[in-house]
Amino acid sequence: MTIATLTKPWEAMSYGFLDASAKRELRRKMLKAIAVPGCQMPYASREVPMARGWGTGGLQVTLTLLRPSSVVKVIDQGADDSVNAASIRSFLSKVSGARETWDTLEATIIQSRHRIPEERLRADQVLVLQVPNPEPLRPVEPNMSVARQMHADADYGRLWLILYEQIVRSGRVMQGAAYPSLVNGRHVMTPSPIPRWDVPKLHMAQHLTFLSAGREKRLYAVPPFTRVEPLVFSDVPFQVEDHAALTCHRSGLTGYFMNEIPQGGGGSQFELSDSNLGIKAIRQAEGAEARVGSTWYENGKMPQ
Amino acid sequence: MAYVATRGGERAIDQSERLYRAELGRIDAARVAEIRHALPMLIDRVMGEASLYEPDLAALALAQAGGDLYEAVLLLRAWRTTQPRLTIAEPVLQEQLFTLRRISAAFKDIPGGQILGPSLDYAHRLLATGVLQGRPYVPAPVEPAATPAPARQPSLAAWQKAQGLVADPARADVAPDDIPDLTREPLLFPAARAHTLQSLARADTGGMLALGYSAMRGYGNAHPTVNELRLAEADVRVRHPRGTVFSAGRVKVSQAEVTSKGKSGLLELGFCATLGWNEVKVISGATLDLNAPGAAKGSPVEEEFFLYHTEPVEASGFCIHFKLPHYVTFQSSLDALRGAKAAPAPHELEKVPA
Repeated sequence: MTIATLTKPWEAMSYGFLDASAKRELRRKMLKAIAVPGCQMPYASREVPMARGWGTGGLQVTLTLLRPSSVVKVIDQGADDSVNAASIRSFLSKVSGARETWDTLEATIIQSRHRIPEERLRADQVLVLQVPNPEPLRPVEPNMSVARQMHADADYGRLWLILYEQIVRSGRVMQGAAYPSLVNGRHVMTPSPIPRWDVPKLHMAQHLTFLSAGREKRLYAVPPFTRVEPLVFSDVPFQVEDHAALTCHRSGLTGYFMNEIPQGGGGSQFELSDSNLGIKAIRQAEGAEARVGSTWYENGKMPQ
Repeated sequence: MAYVATRGGERAIDQSERLYRAELGRIDAARVAEIRHALPMLIDRVMGEASLYEPDLAALALAQAGGDLYEAVLLLRAWRTTQPRLTIAEPVLQEQLFTLRRISAAFKDIPGGQILGPSLDYAHRLLATGVLQGRPYVPAPVEPAATPAPARQPSLAAWQKAQGLVADPARADVAPDDIPDLTREPLLFPAARAHTLQSLARADTGGMLALGYSAMRGYGNAHPTVNELRLAEADVRVRHPRGTVFSAGRVKVSQAEVTSKGKSGLLELGFCATLGWNEVKVISGATLDLNAPGAAKGSPVEEEFFLYHTEPVEASGFCIHFKLPHYVTFQSSLDALRGAKAAPAPHELEKVPA
């Protein structure tokens, strides 16, 4: 036996950039995260060739899941052509050989910053959400050790208190994105700064969602068919953004989450935040072939 | 699409990067060698924060980043990710260090002597403007002492322990493979001692100085006295698969031990060590370590507070991430804001019966 028979030829980096020991740790933590939905699992979080806070947590999970047959979509604020999404997507395909796509229906892995696509995800797709701050208790308890104890005790009273105070002060819940939600009736998680519009898409979904914060070194998951319930009072229902009646000035679609584009003369125009859904709708209208899948929201409403 | 400023995809980022790199121009081995040669203190600082001891790679990272320290550290850390952990070196004991500088502010003289070594401490900080007028600055030659200082120096704390001035907790021997490794495990609190020291060793020099200085000014409980400051070279002794222990080379290390009188009636010690020579960093780090026991949650000298907030790659990355578009999150807040404006004022919601 020689060393040569025991080893592989030298390569500049491992398949999918992360080395085997990093991937093994991530796989273990990802399985744990699935086993305890919504519970934050600490992980070592290696440095990757991107700055922290730019999707390094999502990147590590995606790199661990990728294989050559994967088809990967990356979006930032809903857009595939956003510069950071483009940068992450090209890195992913470069180090894994996976195919790139903009089409939600085609993708096997979707890494996203702050949006869930409008087209329904299937059981064979995995959503990886980039998370800047994994701790829903941060606004009430910045100390991580104390917050960890509060999760262990399911001590979430102060989160409800914030919501109550908002109602008293402003007449409504003022939480914008990253709406704290109870997962599987046990752990409160932050769904990452997705708009409230997207939170119901996680509830009893067919697909698996990983949420990963590279800088804060925590990952958690929402497995398929898991309850995700935004924190609300029984007499104050959860309210998504008031976008149901807005129409995209480019594609003509109505009833999805929109970007607001301020206009010179005052007022605003709106365009679809899910940019590739807009592109497909425009193509269809022009008579080109483009398949639009069924969407979570129908006529601006999420079916119960 | 409409948000032109941050869209445009691959071509835009490619050109943006080219624009940046065009400014730096051609990078060749000569430039890297010159950086390594001319800027040893900077190389040390970068190697310490990257927790990767390789002066050539550090010089290359600085060249590639155009001297942006956070970029250079990130380059090295990301490269480090791709490298396997081959073996764990033998622990380095203080008295085995090849010591070049070792001073104590706690005593006029100490066993082994005060060894000044290389230092600018007492230099007059005058710019040698003559260099710009064509008169090169040539340092005066060093005149060696008649008797060289001993290369190996005892630890001052060992003397203090023998005098009963410092608590001497029993040493827990840990097998090399069982030493907690911050690069392979997350930092959790209360932190393992090894994690604390590793985290301090990798910390951002500037960040550590800011928090350490706040403790020195009075936001900490303990005023530090420099018990011992050391600049040294350490043999990296590793075990060959055949069993022989051999030195794989030397690395520059710095360490500081600061002390203050504790409530127990004994001296308490704070410690910090790092790869490379970086005195400001180790004194600040040791001050934070000294102040950490019993610190209030959320105070700058609480371990969780200063370890999280002096991590250079995380802190700088998060800071610059605010340049990324945040319009979805912003839209969501705007919706709540407009909703609240449109809603009746809260006191009108409920008429309290008189």
